[in-house]
Amino acid sequence: MSEIAAATGDQPVGGGAGKPIGVEGVDERLAYRGVFQRLLIRPEIGAIIGAAAIWLFFWAVTGGFGTAGGILPTMAVAANLGIMAVVVSMLMIGGEFDLSSGAATGTLGIVTILLVKDVGELGGAGLSLYIAIPLSLVVALAIGWTNGVVVERTGLPSFIVTLAMFFVLRGFKLGFSKKIIDNISVGRVDEGHGYDFFVKIFGSSWARNDHTWDARDPVYMVLVLAGAALLALALYEFNFRRRSPFNPTGMFAFLGGLAGVVAGIAILHTTDGVGANALAALVITGSAIVAFLGLAVWRYERQSAGSVEITGTSLYLVVGGLVAIGLGIGAAWALDVDSQQTVLDLVGFARWPVVIVSGVVGFRMSYQRLATHMAVSHEARVQGIVAVGWLTLLSAFGAYAFMFMATEQGLRAMLFATGVIGGLITLAMAAHRLGRALPAARSVVLFLIAVSIAVIAFFMRSQSGTPKFRAEAFTVLLALALLILCWGIVSAVFVQRRHGDAAADRLASRVAIVGGAAVIAGVLVRLLFTTQDEIDAGIPPAQFRVEFLWFIAVTLVATYVLGKTRFGSWIFAVGGNKQAARQIGVPAARTKTQLFMIVSAGAWLVGLLLAFRLNTIQSGTGNGLEFEYIIAAVVGGTALTGGYGSVFGAAIGAFIMAMSTQGIPAARWNSDWRFAFLGMILLGAVIANNFIRKQAEASR
Amino acid sequence: MTSLIDLDNVGKFYGNIIALKGVTTHVNAGEVTCVLGDNGAGKSTFIKILAGVHQRDEGDIELEGRPVNFESPREALDNGIATVYQDLAMVPLMSVWRNFFLGSEPTKGVWPFRRVDIDKAKAIAKDEMGKMGIDIRDTDQSVGTLSGGERQSVAIARAVYFGAKVLILDEPTSALGVKQSGVVLKYIIAARDRGLGVIFITHNPHHAYPVGDRFMILNRGHSMGNFAKDDLPRDELIRMMAGGAELEALAHELESTER
Repeated sequence: MSEIAAATGDQPVGGGAGKPIGVEGVDERLAYRGVFQRLLIRPEIGAIIGAAAIWLFFWAVTGGFGTAGGILPTMAVAANLGIMAVVVSMLMIGGEFDLSSGAATGTLGIVTILLVKDVGELGGAGLSLYIAIPLSLVVALAIGWTNGVVVERTGLPSFIVTLAMFFVLRGFKLGFSKKIIDNISVGRVDEGHGYDFFVKIFGSSWARNDHTWDARDPVYMVLVLAGAALLALALYEFNFRRRSPFNPTGMFAFLGGLAGVVAGIAILHTTDGVGANALAALVITGSAIVAFLGLAVWRYERQSAGSVEITGTSLYLVVGGLVAIGLGIGAAWALDVDSQQTVLDLVGFARWPVVIVSGVVGFRMSYQRLATHMAVSHEARVQGIVAVGWLTLLSAFGAYAFMFMATEQGLRAMLFATGVIGGLITLAMAAHRLGRALPAARSVVLFLIAVSIAVIAFFMRSQSGTPKFRAEAFTVLLALALLILCWGIVSAVFVQRRHGDAAADRLASRVAIVGGAAVIAGVLVRLLFTTQDEIDAGIPPAQFRVEFLWFIAVTLVATYVLGKTRFGSWIFAVGGNKQAARQIGVPAARTKTQLFMIVSAGAWLVGLLLAFRLNTIQSGTGNGLEFEYIIAAVVGGTALTGGYGSVFGAAIGAFIMAMSTQGIPAARWNSDWRFAFLGMILLGAVIANNFIRKQAEASR
Repeated sequence: MTSLIDLDNVGKFYGNIIALKGVTTHVNAGEVTCVLGDNGAGKSTFIKILAGVHQRDEGDIELEGRPVNFESPREALDNGIATVYQDLAMVPLMSVWRNFFLGSEPTKGVWPFRRVDIDKAKAIAKDEMGKMGIDIRDTDQSVGTLSGGERQSVAIARAVYFGAKVLILDEPTSALGVKQSGVVLKYIIAARDRGLGVIFITHNPHHAYPVGDRFMILNRGHSMGNFAKDDLPRDELIRMMAGGAELEALAHELESTER
């Protein structure tokens, strides 16, 4: 025994002194990771950021993308794709593919309709829908079971097995359709017995223009505000150290501030004129600051005054960021927004100095790179001189070509966007650098960011012609500036947590869920109802389709199954290391077969949704879509190798694909470009997800 | 006292290849039986027969006095024989607690709301590993980020928790450094002290000797005999393990080529 003790002398010893008070169930050796760091290692984070960026992009370049008329059709497209993307991503996490999933959607729709039909030489079965629908589910499960059993028994890659199934289904669809009803489009599910009942489940929709609710806007406003307040509370709870006991004065200040914000918004909406607007802005800003400070006073611990010294790299970043924003705004100010003149004409004779300077810069940069290389040998010297020459010419010519091609309008947009976005990112980097060590200094930087955003908002409002930027972007930017300002003030005065606090985390997550739900409910109210004013103004009709509810239900159930049940654990296990899972007693073959059956059950659902929406299904329906499902899953962070991923990410991935389907025609581009767009999204997403995954593995 | 497992003259053939022949040994509760042998000596076959992966072709195995024949790994596991394989049977991308309970997750609630009792699983995993002297910082950590020794320790703690009577360890120290090997040997002792019969397969006599109570040496599929620790000095074990006379001949040969 003594030999072993000697060999393990430096084994780390747990426990020990210095455990912070009030921390249960958390090992003190773990550094506390803030809520953002924890979110950043989720597999779906890349997809969420991508979806937001793409939405913003289409919102900016299209007419109707931000309105209910633009969002509701996108949701309908996302739903069918998303249901399949969710089940396919489960299968992919389990380490398999199903190339027959696309064809199966059409097949199962056709099977259902054929079972109902009572025509043709051979005739369909002429069954009631009450029998036909469960029967087609049985067919679906049989397809999935076959896929799974063949894959497991033969040990062949699922790629091959399901590719074979894809062709079989394709043949069956055509063959049976022609044989039974002598037509490649199988139609009229509405002739079936029981249609009136099932159409409510699979085919109903909600026409927005038929549902007016004049109290909609106040309800929307209250829900969104309450949700935002709860989300802020959760964010604070995640980040600040709680004081004990709580200080009730702060609570009253918080509630008072909240009331003030509501009052300010009421003033804004009921009055007109510059003076009233200024008053409203003042009330909202002041009340928000009071509310956030009150919240902090109520619950969190004060800290002693910190240093506000900003030195070194951070100082350069702050100055650089402010200068970049200033240059961006200045360029937009100076250049003419309507001018189609090329930059070449604009700069006049100055073009030549620009070309010469670009050439010199190109020479300097390439020469510095190649100088050491050139000292090696004669040949290297010759090659190096040629390369430097080329690069010098290229930069000079590039500058000229740019001036020749860019219009003044284009240059203005480019300079403004790069200056402003780059400047804000630089400022954010400075804030991040100062970090928790210098909270007071960081607050100064946050204050500068808030002011910059406010200036940008006012500038955009003064420059922009469309109400989209004048009203919507202006409001959002100002609200963002206000939130950053409040965060800056509070984080300068109160202590941020450095340790885990299980109770606070639990409360914060629950509050965040309720807050998020309130915001979503508010947005839904706005999407589902219209007001008499809007009808009078003549808004185009829009429909909310039941597919979307199915999509949400499937996503929620799949998330629950993957995260909380034994079956979910087994899915990750068979995808991550099948051999290990089997050795340890996981029924690997059964798990995989069940996954294939889940995919085909999803195809059955989508097939029915299609049948009840379109009433007729072409025999080619669904063929080729299997790759879109896989793309959506991969964009959502599911690993192609299995064992890693999230169904929520796949659902977001489906949204990204639906937005590109809807957004490209809405932006009046040729819809043929959709595939080029999808290809770029896929590649970008895989690279981003790979990066995130490496970060996740490194930081765990 | 009847021993936990008795093997009598066990053999295994793959076609005309004799992988294992005439292996007789026994494992007592609270003892470590070391199985030593060079590559190709039949160690893997020996484990796989005990673990139910392969079936023996001759001889008898008795578990606590009754004859048994395991058809599958699951059956062996249900009879209290847990095997920690060289490749560990772990899923690297999954967290420690999920790996700990994989295949036997504790659940709560009634179907269809039956779900894994995550808090309980995490608490048990941390607690059980603590009892073995294993100190894991965070059971949410993915196994892929653990070191080799830590992974072994999770696998051993898992086997102990799930009621193993016999713990088979397949070369647990072969891929580890000196200190890490020491850690694993400590866990072997911990498992022994909790009353398990441990079968420790290794080709390293320096690892086997400090923890072993009894030694069986395999060479080319044959057993070279069973020895209690008292009957076998360390040098003798090393000599037998390396093939005895063969090593001496090799040493001689090497010496002569050096000149």
